Amino acid sequence: MSRLRIDIARRLHALELQVHLEAGEEILVLFGPSGAGKTSTLNAVAGLLAPDSGEILLGEEVLFRRGLPGGAVHVPARRRGIGYVFQHYALFPHLTALDNVGYALRRRPRERAGELLRALGLAHLADRYPQELSGGQQQRIALARALAPEPRLLLLDEPFSALDTAVRESLQKELRRLQAERRLTVLYVTHRLEDAFAVGHRLAVMREGRVEQVGSIEEVARLPSNRHVARIMGLRNLFQARVLSASSEALSLDWNGLRLEAPPLPIPAGTIVTAYIRPEEVKVLYPDRPLSSAVRRNRVEGRVLERSPQAHLHRLLVSLPNANELEVSFSSRLYRSLPLEPGSLVQLAVRPEGVVVLRGGQRAERT
Amino acid sequence: MSWQPALLSLGITGPASLLILGIGLALALLLARRRFPGKLLVDTLLTLPLVLPPSVVGYYLLRALGRGSPLFEWLGLRLLFTPAAAVVAATIVGLPLMVQSAQAAIAGVDPQLENAARTLGSGELAVFRRVTLPLARRGILAGWVLGTARALGEFGATFMVAGNIPGRTQTLPLAIYDAVQNRRYDAATQMVLLVTSVSFLALYLIRRLERPRRPGPLQDAGP
Repeated sequence: MSRLRIDIARRLHALELQVHLEAGEEILVLFGPSGAGKTSTLNAVAGLLAPDSGEILLGEEVLFRRGLPGGAVHVPARRRGIGYVFQHYALFPHLTALDNVGYALRRRPRERAGELLRALGLAHLADRYPQELSGGQQQRIALARALAPEPRLLLLDEPFSALDTAVRESLQKELRRLQAERRLTVLYVTHRLEDAFAVGHRLAVMREGRVEQVGSIEEVARLPSNRHVARIMGLRNLFQARVLSASSEALSLDWNGLRLEAPPLPIPAGTIVTAYIRPEEVKVLYPDRPLSSAVRRNRVEGRVLERSPQAHLHRLLVSLPNANELEVSFSSRLYRSLPLEPGSLVQLAVRPEGVVVLRGGQRAERT
Repeated sequence: MSWQPALLSLGITGPASLLILGIGLALALLLARRRFPGKLLVDTLLTLPLVLPPSVVGYYLLRALGRGSPLFEWLGLRLLFTPAAAVVAATIVGLPLMVQSAQAAIAGVDPQLENAARTLGSGELAVFRRVTLPLARRGILAGWVLGTARALGEFGATFMVAGNIPGRTQTLPLAIYDAVQNRRYDAATQMVLLVTSVSFLALYLIRRLERPRRPGPLQDAGP
């Protein structure tokens, strides 16, 4: 099942890269903070960076081997047949979109590039130079160029990070379609968790040159294998909820009997979604003061379990009526007059913007 | 005026120009894209002929080509006071301009573009021909024209290593000097005008190259 097997070590300027990873016919997201070695891993697979030791296998073919039985192998980048979409697209500025896409094609390059552009609905961009394209269009052309020689493996480095939300979502959908259609193995590097949820089948969390955990995205999010992964994922207050209704004003969720409103998303009622609450978007209410409009929604009463005061930021752990716990954080300048000792009852309001529904992590409710 | 010095200049600048292009490109690529010990030293040495007095360059060339040098003793090359020595002198003084300009232009090409070309199946030669060269084209052309113009105008070092032999090594700059010494001012004026117009045309060509024909498609880091 595994089509790509990476098992490499390489000493780099700032870190020791040591990556063990397998990927099948899927989109595997390499997720982690910048400097974790994600791009170096892609470069090693592409043949642009030679590891100090280890092995890289694509299907039956050894792309790289050093320091292992079987003899040293280093297939040059040009012979690996791997599609690579670089972070800033790296389109050739002296070539039109058509010639960029046809670059790798030996026979009838223009004709075949034209066919591919038509198939992807990009024919109208053929004669434009990269500087005359929008970010999203450049990204589409870069993707088409990487796919033109029909690679089995596609590498994407922060592909959609510079694009606005609408363009990003449409490209993510396109990528999922292309992956399924062409039965590609895709390594997708990102530092944005939302991207990982939107496109990934599985997630590999990287930190300081190593792969800390690999698994389905929900699995890694819910059961981080160690505190590093939990911190890298940056997730507090992760939960699953059922969609009650979706209107143009709000998405209503049912979290174990607690009704929450989130910003509107077109998700059908009954769907189970994964979501989280940003701790800093939970407000503590003064019982004796009138409510501002910002905190009228998503009100809930809870009991303080823990309080951890720090220099600038206070954290509360609050138990909710639905038997779940909620982490709340706020500036230490706030709420000085409120009793927030463990055991106290507090009135909370969760701002709808603080309820983040992770898209792609949804599935229909089982009956 | 006699056309002989002009034809001789052409015969000496032509080969020098080709050498400047070939050697200059190789050195520019090396300096722009490879890391090696002593790179700064090589870079500095290559620029030195620009600032040294022509007599100093000429002196070094005398030692490098004359009696006691490897070229003379081991390879048996007798270059001094031949047109070949004039070609060497012209190449040495023209090379720094070519290398500087081409190196800057090549360094200005995003290495990621070359990497992209590699992942798209290009070998090193194809990467250079299809990506680096077209993107650095203007800087390379400008350096080449400038280096060739400098080679055409070479006087001091040529005087020292090739002499001033009419019909053999007496190029235009030397013939002008000779004409003035012998008070043949009409001939000097004609040759001066010829050299000036050729040089003017070359520089004009460079300025044209540096100005984009239309905004957009072509951009590189020429000087």
